[in-house]
Amino acid sequence: MKNIIEVKNLTKTYKRLKAVDNLTFEVHEGEILGLLGPNGSGKTTTINCILSLLKYDAGSISIFGREMQPNAYDIKKEIGVVFQEVAVFEELNVYDNIDYFCGLYIQDKKVRKTYIKEALELVGLEEFQKFYPKQLSGGLLRRLNIACGIAHKPKLIFLDEPTVAVDPQSRNNILDGIQTLRKKGATIIYTTHYMEEVEMLCDRILILDKGKILASGTNDALKALAHIEEKVSIEVMDLEETYIEKIQKFKNVEEVSYQNNLLFITYKKGNNNVTELIDYLKEEGIHYNKIYSERPTLNDVFLELTGKELRD
Amino acid sequence: MTVFKTFLKVLNKYKGTLILYTVILIFFAGFNIETNDTGTDFVSSKPDVLIVNQDEEVGITKSLVHYMEDHSNMVAIKDTEEARDDALFYRDVNYIIYIPAHYREDFLAGKNPVIVVKSTGDYQSSLAELLLTRYLKLAEFYQIIEVNEDALIEQIETTLSKEPVVEMTSHLDRNQLEKATRYFNFANYCILAGCIYVVCFILSSFKTKGVHKRTIISSTNYKTFNRKLLLSNALFAFVLWAFYIVLGIILVGDVLLSMHGIFYAINSFLFTLCALTIAFLIGNAIANKNAISGLVNVIALGSSFLCGAFVPMEWLPDKVLAIAHILPSYWYIKTNEYLKGLEVFDMDALKPIICNMGVIVVFIVIFIILTNFISHKKQIQK
Repeated sequence: MKNIIEVKNLTKTYKRLKAVDNLTFEVHEGEILGLLGPNGSGKTTTINCILSLLKYDAGSISIFGREMQPNAYDIKKEIGVVFQEVAVFEELNVYDNIDYFCGLYIQDKKVRKTYIKEALELVGLEEFQKFYPKQLSGGLLRRLNIACGIAHKPKLIFLDEPTVAVDPQSRNNILDGIQTLRKKGATIIYTTHYMEEVEMLCDRILILDKGKILASGTNDALKALAHIEEKVSIEVMDLEETYIEKIQKFKNVEEVSYQNNLLFITYKKGNNNVTELIDYLKEEGIHYNKIYSERPTLNDVFLELTGKELRD
Repeated sequence: MTVFKTFLKVLNKYKGTLILYTVILIFFAGFNIETNDTGTDFVSSKPDVLIVNQDEEVGITKSLVHYMEDHSNMVAIKDTEEARDDALFYRDVNYIIYIPAHYREDFLAGKNPVIVVKSTGDYQSSLAELLLTRYLKLAEFYQIIEVNEDALIEQIETTLSKEPVVEMTSHLDRNQLEKATRYFNFANYCILAGCIYVVCFILSSFKTKGVHKRTIISSTNYKTFNRKLLLSNALFAFVLWAFYIVLGIILVGDVLLSMHGIFYAINSFLFTLCALTIAFLIGNAIANKNAISGLVNVIALGSSFLCGAFVPMEWLPDKVLAIAHILPSYWYIKTNEYLKGLEVFDMDALKPIICNMGVIVVFIVIFIILTNFISHKKQIQK
């Protein structure tokens, strides 16, 4: 598979802090690569280095097979960026904002008009063309931010936490839009805090912490790194300690905890763990309400790898 | 064209501010023009005089008193020496003439009686002294050739009744020049405020963190983008200046189409360039729009007050004017004031103007250097 981006031994230091530490990875054509990591893990610094917004201390970056530099305008022409912060003109309406940012890449007026129309459709802002940013809700503003970044139809798109503080409707719209972009052939680098978004969208994931890659691979491959296979939580009122000790001795059980009338059990392996547990509760005449069973998340993988939560 | 078109769209959002400054200029410049009409017609002034006459008011004494009454404002003061001294001290009277007893008799007898006077020593008292001396010298002169008192008085009064014809030798329309100076002095505020406010706000919009980052990442050459943005701002400043010149022609008329007008225009053009460089400096140093707004008021109002845009320079205290030397507005207004009195346009007469304009050019260079320095430092920090 053709590599769109090749990052080799990238290192970036801020005074004494190593923000990016000897990072090496590739981004394949047409894939969505998720960069996952807590705040300060080096995600944004990595992107800024790739985009030549920051000078780096060591390593090499090539995009579309050419070395990326601040004046590599032929490469930049094919790149679209959506920043975490909303980056638009307060004085321009939705249409004019997209027109300006698209105009930085596309000079032909007619072509630009078509592209703007398509971008508005993609993010669902057709009805808000004449609205000024101040008149838009947070979610609509984020959609405008995305439209400004992708209107010129780039082949490579960087999306830096595009769904932060967005209402569910806008979030779904944004995620659908990203899927559409990929279907149209764009290669996407997606950074986020939200594991469920990464799991849903990304073909491959890089988990970063302290500027280093902790793990990389597909969603399933990363989850396979976790020692647990199932997590069960049950609402049980006033469970006595003896029952907890008994459950602890069940087959495949890794850990049991009981807090605020919620019983948490993690299993190392197995598929019929919940059945065995329910049978036991019935047998002992213990009343229970809701039962939740879930597969390990990327957060569990991160927790095992670093000993801390992704959101720490 | 994208940058220029967007510049115009953003500028359109600030048109209200520009209209406001223009209305202020029209209103206050118009108001200044009407109320500060100094007038240049010749009007002789009259001193305040008191005559203490101890002689009888007949003959030559009566003639002298009448002459002084006709050419001075006669003041009535309590008939004590203390009251007269107080009147002199408080400038209620400029000149007191003491005509001694038997003055007429002594004068006709050729005894040269002495007239004692007291004066405040100012310009008005000198005028009164001139009037008195003029009468007495004529009286002495005609006494030699005329023996008859009535004939003597007639000769004196005929000679004194001849009014001198005063003709203004200057061909300048002082009134129009005064109006033009007031207009351009007040324009100092509007050019500074309008230029800095609009340019800084537009720069701030283009340099908003995210927008700026997007521009750097785009396939548009960043140097080209910067050049286009600078040119757009410069074009705006030029249009603003041209508009104020046209407005000046409408408000103060033909004087702007003369040599004076050319120099007023050059001076205001240089000042607009200077305002533009100040705007670039502030726009590069500060991104916060609230801070810009406050700073515009401080700079535009502050320098206009300190340098005599609102009140004539000659009314300002020396200390204020000394401080004002460090502001470009001072040199701009100084040139306007100098132009007001300029009659010929030779090299000697133009030297002060060239010097003042040179100082403004130096300010422009300093502001450009400072802008580059700050911009470079910011890039290094990034």
